[in-house]
Amino acid sequence: MNKFWVITKEVYKKNVKSTSFIIMLLAPLLAIGIFYGISYFIAQDEKNAEPSAIAVISEDPAIQDVFTIEDGPYEVQEDITTQEAAEEALLDEEIDGYLTISETGNTIDSAIVHTDSLTNIIPILNEQLSNYQTLLRANELDLSQEQVMSLSEPVVIEESIVSIEDGNLTQEENNDTTVKEIGAYIVSFAVYMFILFYASIIASEVASEKGTRIMEIILSSASATVHFFGKLAGVMLILLTQLVVYGIIGFVTYFFVKDSATIQGLTQGIDLATIAKELLGYTSIFFITGVLMYVVFAAFFGSLVTKIEDVNKSITPIVTLAIIGLYVGIFAFASPENIVPVVFSYIPLFTPFVMPFRIASETVGQLGIWISIIGTVGFTAILTYLSFVFYRANVLIYSDGGVIKSLKRSWGLLKSNRKAKKINS
Amino acid sequence: MLEAKSLQKNFGDVTAVDGITFKINKGEIMGLIGQNGAGKTTTFRMILDLLTPDQGEVLWKGKKLTNKVFNQIGYLPEERGLYPKVSIEDQILYFAQLRGKSKKEIKPLIDDWLEKFDVKGKRGDKVKTLSKGNQQKVQLITTLIHQPELIILDEPFSGLDPVNAELLESGIREAQANGASIIFSSHNMNNVEELCDSLIMLRDGNQILNGTVKEIREKFGRTKLFLESSLSLEELKQFPGVQSATVNRDGISVIQLSAAENGKAIFDAATADGYIPTFSQQPPTLEEIFKRMVGEKNE
Repeated sequence: MNKFWVITKEVYKKNVKSTSFIIMLLAPLLAIGIFYGISYFIAQDEKNAEPSAIAVISEDPAIQDVFTIEDGPYEVQEDITTQEAAEEALLDEEIDGYLTISETGNTIDSAIVHTDSLTNIIPILNEQLSNYQTLLRANELDLSQEQVMSLSEPVVIEESIVSIEDGNLTQEENNDTTVKEIGAYIVSFAVYMFILFYASIIASEVASEKGTRIMEIILSSASATVHFFGKLAGVMLILLTQLVVYGIIGFVTYFFVKDSATIQGLTQGIDLATIAKELLGYTSIFFITGVLMYVVFAAFFGSLVTKIEDVNKSITPIVTLAIIGLYVGIFAFASPENIVPVVFSYIPLFTPFVMPFRIASETVGQLGIWISIIGTVGFTAILTYLSFVFYRANVLIYSDGGVIKSLKRSWGLLKSNRKAKKINS
Repeated sequence: MLEAKSLQKNFGDVTAVDGITFKINKGEIMGLIGQNGAGKTTTFRMILDLLTPDQGEVLWKGKKLTNKVFNQIGYLPEERGLYPKVSIEDQILYFAQLRGKSKKEIKPLIDDWLEKFDVKGKRGDKVKTLSKGNQQKVQLITTLIHQPELIILDEPFSGLDPVNAELLESGIREAQANGASIIFSSHNMNNVEELCDSLIMLRDGNQILNGTVKEIREKFGRTKLFLESSLSLEELKQFPGVQSATVNRDGISVIQLSAAENGKAIFDAATADGYIPTFSQQPPTLEEIFKRMVGEKNE
C-alpha cells in the first residue's frame, strides 16, 4: 500500500474510534433530540390538559349550540343556565368563565367573566359571536347562503418582495431572508465548532508524534510531504465522515417524521428546500475552505510544539482567531453594512464567518462573493504551502523556549538546508 | 555499504558536525561514541536525509542516500516513542507498512519476534499497558522486523537491564549475520567493545578517533601492565617510566607506564627468579580512552 494511504488510514482509524469524535458527532444530534423531546412533552401536555370549561347564559338556551365545537379548546357546561349558578361554579373552579348573551333584535350584547386561563380562548369566542350576529342580520335581510359567503370573502393579497440593487428593483425569487440568515448562522457556528475540533485533532496528532519522537521514525520512512498531506487527508476524511453521517441521519429522519404533526408545526413557514440550497451553495465553499485553512494552520502550530502537553497552548492563536471571526459574524448579522464586517468579510481568515451573513442579508453582490471565494481559496493554498515548508524544519526542532523561538530556529534550519541543497546541486 | 564523506553541518554560527568520514561494509557494525552534544544525532539525521549536510555526502551502495531507500532503513531514535493507545500488533504493522512491507508479510512474524525479545504481553495489548522495558523492546522490534539493510540505533542500550541488553545484542548480531550495515551510538563502552567492528569518536563535532577497536586501543600503546610477582609496589615505582602502581582487589599490581618499552625492564626483573603467574601488558580500555579524550578537552 502507498505510504500516503498508510498514514491517512492510521489517522482516520485512530480518531474515528476516539471518544472525543463520537461525542462531537453525537452532540448536535443530542441537542436536537433534547429540543424535540421538550417540544414533544409540551405538546403532549397541551393535548392531555383538560379543555377549559365555560358556561353560556342566555334567554335563548339554543344559543349554547352555537358555541359547541367538537374537540374544541373549551367545553360548554350546558346545565348551567343562570348567572348565579355560573358564579357559584366559577367559585368552585368548575368552570373558567361564563359568557352572558342578550339579543336585541339583530344585535348581540355579550359580557364575559373569566379567569386567566381562558385568555387564549377569547378570540375564538369573539369570532363565534360575530358569526352568529352575521347570521342573524343575514336572516333579517333575507340573504342566501351564497350571498353571506360572498360578503365575508376575504381579499387576496399577492405578495412580492423586492430588493434594491444598483438603483434597480429586483424581484426576489424565494424571498425569505430569515431562512438565509438561519443558514448563515448554522454555517458560522458549524465552522467554529468544526475548526476547534479538527484543529485540535491535527495539532495533537502532529505534536504527539513529535513529542514522542515517533516523528523521526516516520520521517525516515516516508517523506515529510507524504506525512503532512497524509495527515491532512486523514483529518479531512474524518470531517467528511461526520458530514455523511449527518446527511444520512437527516435524510432518514426527514422521511420518517415529515408527516408527523409536531414536525410540521415546527417547520411551518420554513422552507427546508431553501435552507438546503443555502447550505449547499456558497456557504458550503466557505465551510470547507474555512475548516481546511484552520486545520492547516493547526498542523503548523502543532509542529512547533516540543512537548505534547503544550498542544493546547499552541492552538491558542487559532482559537482566538476563530472567536474573533465568530463575533464579527454575529455582529454582521445585526449590522451587515457596518464597515467592520465589510472589511472582515474580505480577510480570508474571517471570510468563512462573516461572508455568509453578508450574503444572507444581501449586502454583497456576486462580484464581492467571488472575490472573497478566490481570496480564501488562494490564501488557503499559500498557507498550506508555507505551513508545509516550515513543517519539514519545525518537526526537527526541539526548543524549551516559546513558539517564536522555535519558529526562529526552524527558519534558521530551513535556510541552512536550502543553502546546503543549492551548494550540493 | 554506507559511506559518509567529510560531512559538515552548521547551525548559524555553530558548527555541529565537521568533517566526519567513515565507511560501513555489509555485515559490519560501527559504533559512534561521544559525549552528549558531540554531534551524534546530527550525524544520524544527515545519514537519514532529514538534514542536508553543508558539505560532504552520504552514499548508500555507492549512490547518494535519498528517501528512495527509506524502506531499507531501520532507525531507533534516542528518545523512544510509540503510540500509547495502539495495540502492539497495530504498532508493529504500522511502522512496517511505512517501510513498504504489507500486513500479510509481517503479521505471521510478530509472535516469533515477541518471543525472541521476550516481550511480556500479547500482540493485542495496548502499548501503554506494557512496562517501559517491554515498550522499548517493542520499539526494537519495529526497528528490525522489516529486515532493514541499514540499521541506525541511537543509544539502543540505554535503560536496558543486562538480560535485555543481551537480547538486544543477539538481535543486532542476527541482523549483522543477515548482512545489514549497522551503526549505533552508545555511552557504554563495553557494548561498543563487544559489538563493534569499527568505531568513530566525536568531540565537539570533530572526528577524533577512527578505526577498529583494536587499532584504536593499540594506537595508545600497551601502557597498562598487570603483574603478579615478588616485586613490591615500592620496588616497582623505582623503575623508569612508571607513572603509578597500585594493587587491585585480586592482589594483582596495576602499573601505568608512560611508554610501552618501559615494560621490558620490569619483565626482566620480575622473571629473574623464573616463573611468574601474570605479566600482561595491555592498551588502555575504550572507557579509559574515552575519558582521556574528554579530559584532554577539559584541561
